[in-house]
Amino acid sequence: MEDFVYFFTFQDPSIAWVVIGITLLGIGSAYVGTFSFLDKKALLGDAISHSVLPGICLGFILAGEKNPLYIVTGAFLAGGLATFLSSWLKKNTKLSEDSIIATILSVFFGFGIVMLTALQKSGNPEIAGLNSFIFGNAIGISEFDLMIYGGLSLTIILVLTVFLKEFRLMVFDPAFGRAIGFPINGIRFLFNVLMILAVVIGIQAIGVVLMAALLITPGAAARFWTDRLNSLLILAALFSILSGILGTYISFVIPQMPTGPWVVVFLSLFALISFLVSPKSGIIFRYLKRKNYLRKTHRDHLLKSLYKALEEGQKGLLIDKIYELYPFQKKEIHQSIIDLNKVGYIYNNQGIIILTDSGVTEAMRVVRLHRLWELYLNESLKIAPDHVHESAEQMEHLLTPELEELLEKRLNFPSLDPHQETIPREKNDLR
Amino acid sequence: MVTQIENPVLEIHDLTVSYDQTPVLWNVDFSLPAGKLIGILGPNGAGKSTLIKAIMGLIPPTSGYVKIFDKPINDVRARISYVPQRESVDWNFPASVLDVVLMGTYGKLGLFKRPGRKEKELAMECLEQVGMTGFVNRQISELSGGQQQRVFIARALAQQADLYLMDEPFAGVDMATETAIFQLLRDMASSGKTVLVVHHDIHSAMNFFDWVIMLNLHLVASGPKSEVMTEELLRKTYGGKLNLLTKVTDLISKKEFNPLKS
Amino acid sequence: MTFDSNAFLIILTGTLIAISCGFLGVFMMLRKMSMTGDAISHAVLPGIVIGYFVSGSQRSLEVIIGAGLLGILATLMIEGLRKKAKVQLDASIGITFTLLFAIGIILINMFAYKVDLDQECVLYGEIAYLPIDLWITKSGLNLGPRITWLAGLNLLFVGVFIYLLFKELVLTSFDENFSSVMGIPAKGVNLALMSMVSYTTVSSFESVGAILVVALLAVPPATAFLWTKSLNSLLKLTAALAILISVLGYYLAFWMDSSIAGMMVTVAGGFFLASALIKGKKPSWFKGTPKESKPLGI
Repeated sequence: MEDFVYFFTFQDPSIAWVVIGITLLGIGSAYVGTFSFLDKKALLGDAISHSVLPGICLGFILAGEKNPLYIVTGAFLAGGLATFLSSWLKKNTKLSEDSIIATILSVFFGFGIVMLTALQKSGNPEIAGLNSFIFGNAIGISEFDLMIYGGLSLTIILVLTVFLKEFRLMVFDPAFGRAIGFPINGIRFLFNVLMILAVVIGIQAIGVVLMAALLITPGAAARFWTDRLNSLLILAALFSILSGILGTYISFVIPQMPTGPWVVVFLSLFALISFLVSPKSGIIFRYLKRKNYLRKTHRDHLLKSLYKALEEGQKGLLIDKIYELYPFQKKEIHQSIIDLNKVGYIYNNQGIIILTDSGVTEAMRVVRLHRLWELYLNESLKIAPDHVHESAEQMEHLLTPELEELLEKRLNFPSLDPHQETIPREKNDLR
Repeated sequence: MVTQIENPVLEIHDLTVSYDQTPVLWNVDFSLPAGKLIGILGPNGAGKSTLIKAIMGLIPPTSGYVKIFDKPINDVRARISYVPQRESVDWNFPASVLDVVLMGTYGKLGLFKRPGRKEKELAMECLEQVGMTGFVNRQISELSGGQQQRVFIARALAQQADLYLMDEPFAGVDMATETAIFQLLRDMASSGKTVLVVHHDIHSAMNFFDWVIMLNLHLVASGPKSEVMTEELLRKTYGGKLNLLTKVTDLISKKEFNPLKS
Repeated sequence: MTFDSNAFLIILTGTLIAISCGFLGVFMMLRKMSMTGDAISHAVLPGIVIGYFVSGSQRSLEVIIGAGLLGILATLMIEGLRKKAKVQLDASIGITFTLLFAIGIILINMFAYKVDLDQECVLYGEIAYLPIDLWITKSGLNLGPRITWLAGLNLLFVGVFIYLLFKELVLTSFDENFSSVMGIPAKGVNLALMSMVSYTTVSSFESVGAILVVALLAVPPATAFLWTKSLNSLLKLTAALAILISVLGYYLAFWMDSSIAGMMVTVAGGFFLASALIKGKKPSWFKGTPKESKPLGI
């Protein structure tokens, strides 16, 4: 707890620095990543992040120490080369995109490992810092590093914000963009530059292998909640910042824990939770909706049975009789009786279930929809009368008042369904 | 206008099929006779390919069922053959023409067994029927569109089935291939096989088929060509989608789950 | 040069692993699943750590089982994200492998006192120590390096697997729908292939590390595919490349005193790049006719 307070009050300036750094970095990569996710190029980011390793080593060799300027430049060049190669290979060979990305990624990384081992054997004491690029270590970032990485992040965020319209066009409809005179190739080039930059600074905190998560997961998680680009970007950035801070906190509390993996775990957790509970596609949400819907269908069926009894001249139905009608759904029907009683559509008179006035109206609506749909199938879709019942059993719960009106108009307010049963309306009320 | 058949080869009962919960076929119900060349007609997005995929069980139906030779599909797979759309595979795949045609025999071979001389002879026979004997060892990436289609049909022939389902076999092929394939399909039908072809061109359909199925989200017609190819039914098929049905489809696709699934 | 038995053993082991990976990689490539292979080779890590933790040894069956299970879990998770959550394929792959790999790294750090696995070893292995890791029977008989035996066994399994399921693998790779219509269980074949990839990853990660496994799955098949249009020569060429990569990789690493695994990948990359330059459509500047260039425009 003490740690928690100490960390989150940011009284330690070095913690404050790291948190600011990881926030900027998180926003930058989530921003870029969301675009590449929407552009269906998510794995290119993975390829780039593996590919920068030789560049980092090269920067180290040239500088002789862990100088962020050299390292960023080296990494940037390596990332650029990887991006160029993958686009060249895509255009000029028959290899498929996934094969190209897997190849580029592993070859660059393998070459990076060769350089890294060679460096390690060279005995330079600074080399220990290089290993942190593989798994990332946000806590270990120096203030000078942070200035540079934070500044670059800020640049990425600014450029993306200024050219939001252009990038949106590039992702959603490049052909249209070209047609109305936008330099789409230039925009794409700029975007790739930003992506490489985001990767180069991101690996400092999260490491080469897991960088892909920082690009892909925030966007994917946010996608569960919204369809709009602006809110998508904000939400993605939010997930990214939260995970970044939580991950840093863990590696602050448990020093032997690397930051990167924990950031990824938190990010994935956000994605998983979004997937489970979001109203758009959440499994739990869908399950509840479906359950509610099924309850409604059972209620509708009970109302229909009661209405049919009314048509046959019975005022109500014995509960046991109702259970007999639905031999395998005793529990559901029991629930429906309770539900309908509560809303005042039916009442129970000594074991006989009887429709109330409002119940008759509602029951008529369901039966009317059923029979209208049957007639529609029969008249417009030319489906034989003995084949229309099942579809109507489903549609009676779904049709909206607007569609009901359309059906009535389309069928010219019919009075009989294909089975010669009356389509109930207020005027031929049975009450 | 739906002509039902006694003892049908293929019986489709109240079939509703959805893609990602959006219904693309509504209550399709028809039956087909044996030994006929049958065309499935309809505009783009009418559900033609979906229908044959549902027949073969590649897409599970939302409701309804399919019976082939009076049995569920899984019992009669060996008697069914399929020609997918040409673009559905990557023609850069490293295989020769013979390799692809031999694939038609895999179903009957069963697990672990390899095609032997008998299968190769059969494959050669099938290649001869489509006029491709000169290309046996050619790599498939070197074939023209028409030749690729012929290879696919040879592969289907090698399945030695009784019911053939073909998805747009005439799409993007040259005239010579079209005539050759058509003649071949005719011969197959006259020897008692049933051939079901998804087709996009109404004019050639007039000449091609014995029996026509017309689709546009729902079944417009199914029957002998002479009875079905009327102006009224064609207008119904190609004259745009039913407004109300489209609205209902939209309504369902906006739900969080597929309410048509029981 | 005299016969150096250590060099021979390292090259032999590298070759065995490279051929196993290459054969499986050919089918992964043809199914456009190279990145899934990449994901699996990262995702087995937690399985390895848990297996190690349970059994207390890196050489146990538990490790192989753990990794195998994780490999299958990764495949299912990618499928699940794609089908159930409707996340596009590339993003599903990215989310899955990063999460599982991250969990693996965390587990290593948590069990650090008990599990003697270090992260670098997992990533790029060390094939160079293979000759000192011997398999000695209880009676004291020295049977040679353990890892070489494992690699041999692996190749045997991969060979038998591909031999037995050859036609099913080919058909499901080329035309999955067609195979389903015939009643060949495409999903089952796919899962079997993924299991083989997971098993191969585990059995080789000790010596060559996760990254080399990825490289060997992806690079030799892609290189060979640039040269041939027939499956048989694709497999043969992949095997030939595997041998070349091992031999050249070993001697170059020896000469430059660096990671053998990394050098094998670098050599593979060299072959790939050369092949792409020779077999790819020539770039415009190569022919001398200037055409609009699209730098970085993927």
